[in-house]
Amino acid sequence: MTMPISNPPHAPGNLIESLCERLPSEEREGQIFWKLRWRSSRSQLRYLATQARLRTCLVVGLSTLFWFGLFALFYSGFDFIVKNVGPPGATYHAQTVQFIFTLFFASLQVMLIFSSSIILYGGLYSSDETNFLLSLPVRDARLVNYRFQESVFFSSWGFFLLASPMMMAYGMVVSAPWYYFAYLPFLMLAFAYIPCALGAIACLLLIHRLPQMRGIVVGAAAIVVIGLAYFSIWKTLDISDAESLSATWFVETFRRFEFTRGEWIPSTWLSNGLLDAARPNSYDPNDLPWLESGKYLVVLVSNALFLHVVVLWLGNRWYRKSYCSLNSRQARESRMGAAWLDWIANGMLFPFAKQTRLLIIKDLRLFRRDPAQWSQFLIFFGLLLLYFANLDRFRQHQIDLSVQTWINVVSFLNLAVVGLILSTFTTRFIYPLISLEGKRFWILGRLPVKRDTILWGKFLFAAGGSWLPCAGLVLLSDLVLNVSAMVVSVHQATCLMLCIGLSGLAVGLGAIMPNFQEQSPSKIAAGFGGTLNLVLSALYILAVVVLTALPCHFILLSSGGGLASQMLQSGTLAIWLGVGLIASLALACLVTIIPLRNGLRAFRRLEI
Amino acid sequence: MIHFQHVTRTYGEQIAVDDLELSAAKGELLAMLGHNGAGKSTSIKMLVGLLNPSKGTIRVGPYDVAENPRESSRLIGYVPDQPYLYDKLSGREFLQFVAEMHGLTTAETRDALDREATRFELGGFLDRLAESYSHGMQQRTVFAAALIHDPEVLVVDEPMVGLDPHSIRLVKDLMREYVHAGKTVLMSTHILSVAEEIADRVAVLKSGELLFEGNVSELRVSIPEAGESLESLYLSLMGQ
Repeated sequence: MTMPISNPPHAPGNLIESLCERLPSEEREGQIFWKLRWRSSRSQLRYLATQARLRTCLVVGLSTLFWFGLFALFYSGFDFIVKNVGPPGATYHAQTVQFIFTLFFASLQVMLIFSSSIILYGGLYSSDETNFLLSLPVRDARLVNYRFQESVFFSSWGFFLLASPMMMAYGMVVSAPWYYFAYLPFLMLAFAYIPCALGAIACLLLIHRLPQMRGIVVGAAAIVVIGLAYFSIWKTLDISDAESLSATWFVETFRRFEFTRGEWIPSTWLSNGLLDAARPNSYDPNDLPWLESGKYLVVLVSNALFLHVVVLWLGNRWYRKSYCSLNSRQARESRMGAAWLDWIANGMLFPFAKQTRLLIIKDLRLFRRDPAQWSQFLIFFGLLLLYFANLDRFRQHQIDLSVQTWINVVSFLNLAVVGLILSTFTTRFIYPLISLEGKRFWILGRLPVKRDTILWGKFLFAAGGSWLPCAGLVLLSDLVLNVSAMVVSVHQATCLMLCIGLSGLAVGLGAIMPNFQEQSPSKIAAGFGGTLNLVLSALYILAVVVLTALPCHFILLSSGGGLASQMLQSGTLAIWLGVGLIASLALACLVTIIPLRNGLRAFRRLEI
Repeated sequence: MIHFQHVTRTYGEQIAVDDLELSAAKGELLAMLGHNGAGKSTSIKMLVGLLNPSKGTIRVGPYDVAENPRESSRLIGYVPDQPYLYDKLSGREFLQFVAEMHGLTTAETRDALDREATRFELGGFLDRLAESYSHGMQQRTVFAAALIHDPEVLVVDEPMVGLDPHSIRLVKDLMREYVHAGKTVLMSTHILSVAEEIADRVAVLKSGELLFEGNVSELRVSIPEAGESLESLYLSLMGQ
C-alpha cells in the first residue's frame, strides 16, 4: 500500500529556502544528540541487566575488588609515609606526596592523550555511524563534539579507576577535611578533560596535515614515550645495595623526575589542588586551604573549557575536509608476504594429517593478516617481556632465605600472570574461532573433511601457538630470577598444562555455544560463553599454580633451614610436590577432555 | 535539481570519475548504470557529501554540496547500499532522530512517522530494537528515514538488493510516485529491467567516464543494431 507524496505549499525556490531555514539550531541539535545518546545507553543498560548478567556481575565485581585492592595498597603506603616522613604540615610530607602525585598523574596524563586520540580517530574517521551522520544536516563541530565526548568517556574510565582509590586513601590517611572529598570529583574530571582534549587536537592536526603518515607518527611517539619511561625507571633502579633507599638516592630520584613537577603541567595543578585541600587549616585568612585548592580547580576548569573550544573550532575548520581527504586515498594493496611462516609451520606440523595441517595453516594466515588480532597479543606479551627482563634485582640476595622465598613467590606469580594473559588471549581469539566460521561455514561444510578434524585443528592451533611464547616467557623469568632447575622444570610442566587446558576449554566451549550472528570477535568473546570461559580459565590457572607452587615453596623453606617440622622434611615435601603435579595433570586432563568431548558432540550435530 | 559540472574524482593515480557532466531535473528519475567500479557509488557519495570532488562542482538546487553541506543534505534523502541503523535504538527512535535532525517539530515528526510507517508497513516491528531486524526490514526502515523529511531529491544506491518481490514492487511504485509529485530521484542499479521499467533517463558510466545520457529511445536510435532491450543496448555500449 503506498501513500501519496505530500505536495509542497510554497513556490519551489521559497520552499527550498524555507526547508533549510528550519534546520535545528545549535542548541536544538545538541538536545537531539543527547536524546540519541540517552536512548542508546538506556537500551544498552537494559541489555546488560537482562541478557548479560554474568558478564555485568563479573565486570562490576572484579572492578570493585580491584578498586578495594588498590585502595588498601595506597592506604598502607600513605600510612607508612605519614608515620615515617610526617603528617601534612611536616617538613617533607608535601614534597614526598607531591613527588608521588605528580609522577602518577603525569603518567596517566600521557596515557589519556594517546588513548583519547586513538579512540577519537576511530570514531571520526572509520565508523559506519559517522558515515551515516555525515549524510545528515549535522554541523561538523557537533559531530566532532559527539565523538569527542565518547572518547573522553572511554579513555578516562581507566584514569578514574586507578586514581580514585589513591586519592580516597590519601584523604582518609591524613584525615582530610570534608571539602577535600567534595573537590575530588571536580578536580579529577577537569584534569582528565585536558589531556583528552590535547589528544583530540593532536588527532585532528595529524589527520589534517599528515594523514598518510598517521601510523608512523603515533608509533614513533609511543616508542619515544616508552623509551623515556624505561630509561628513567632503569636509571632509578640501577643502584648498588649500599645506595638503595639512601638520602643520596632519594635526592637523585627527586631531581631526575623534576620534569613532572613543572608549573605549567595540568598534573601539577591537580597535585597541588589535592595537597592544599588535604592540609590542615591554619586559620590564616590569607592562606585558606579550601580557597587555595579552589584556585587550582578554577585553573583546571578554565583550561579544560578553553581546550574544549579549541577542539570544536578545529573540528569545524578541518574535520570534513580531512575526512574526505582520508577517504580519497588510493587503497594500498594488501601485502601477502611472510609465507615463510606458513612454511615453517608446515614443517613443524609434519606429524599431523595433511587436512589438519592445512586447517591450522589457514587459521594461522587469518590470524597474522589481521593486525587487530596480533597487535593486542604483541602488546600483552611485549609488556611481560619488558617486565621479566628487569627482574634481576633479586639476584644480589641469593643467600637470604626471605629473599629466596620472595623469588619463589615472584616466579610463580609470573607464571600465573602469563597464564592469565593467556586466558584473555584464548577467550578473545580462540573461543570465537568456531563462531567466526559462521557465514563462511558452508566452505568447510562442503569439503571432504570430518567436523572432528576441524575442531582438532583449532585446538592444535591454539595449544601449539600459545605454548611457544608462554614457555619462552616463563623460561626467561626463571633464568633472570636464577631459580633452581627443579623450579624451572615444574614451571615448564605447569605452563604446558595451562596451554593445553586453556586451549581445550576455549575450543570446546566455543563449539558448544557458538554465536553465528555476530562477526566481531570482541562481541563474541563478551557474550555469556566467552565470559564463562574467562571465569573457568581463571579458576583453572589458580588451581594449577597453587597445586604446584605450595609444595615448591615449602621445599625451598625446608632446604634453606627455615622452620623445622616433621611436615617440612624433604621426603614428605617431595611427595607433596609429586601429588601436586599429578593432581594438576588430572585437572588438566579433565579441563581439556570434557569441554573438547562435549564440543565435538555439539559440533557434529551443528546446523547453520 | 542535481548538477554534476565537470566533476572529477581521483584516488591517488586512479581516476574514479572523469569530467562528469550530468543533470537530473525536477520530476525526473535518472538511473545510473555501469559495471562494478564504473564510478556510480563514488558519484553518489560526492552528491551526498561523503566525498569532495577533486575538480568541478556538484549542486543540489541552489547549493554547492562542498560549500553548503548542511543545506544540500536537507534537500536530499539518501538510501545507501549498506543500510546503517543503531543496533540499540528501535526503528521509531531512529526515525524520530532523523526527523528532528532535519528540523521537523514534534507534531510534524509524529505525522511523518505515521505516514512512513504506513507506507513501508513498519508497524509490526517499529518498536523493536534494530539489531533484531532482517535485511529487508532494515532496508525499509532506511527508506523511511530517507523520506521522513520529505526531501526534494531521493538518492538510492542499489535499492533492490536483498528485497523480496513485494518490497521491490513497493520501492518501484514509491519512486515513480515521488517523481510524479515533482521530486527528483537518482538511482544506481545493476538490474537493467528495473531501470528500463521506471527510469525516465539513464546515464551509463564506464571506468569513470559517461558513455551515454538520455532516455532508452534515444539509446536505441544511437545503436540501432543492438536490439530493443536495455540489456542488449547496454552490453553493446560496453563493447560486449
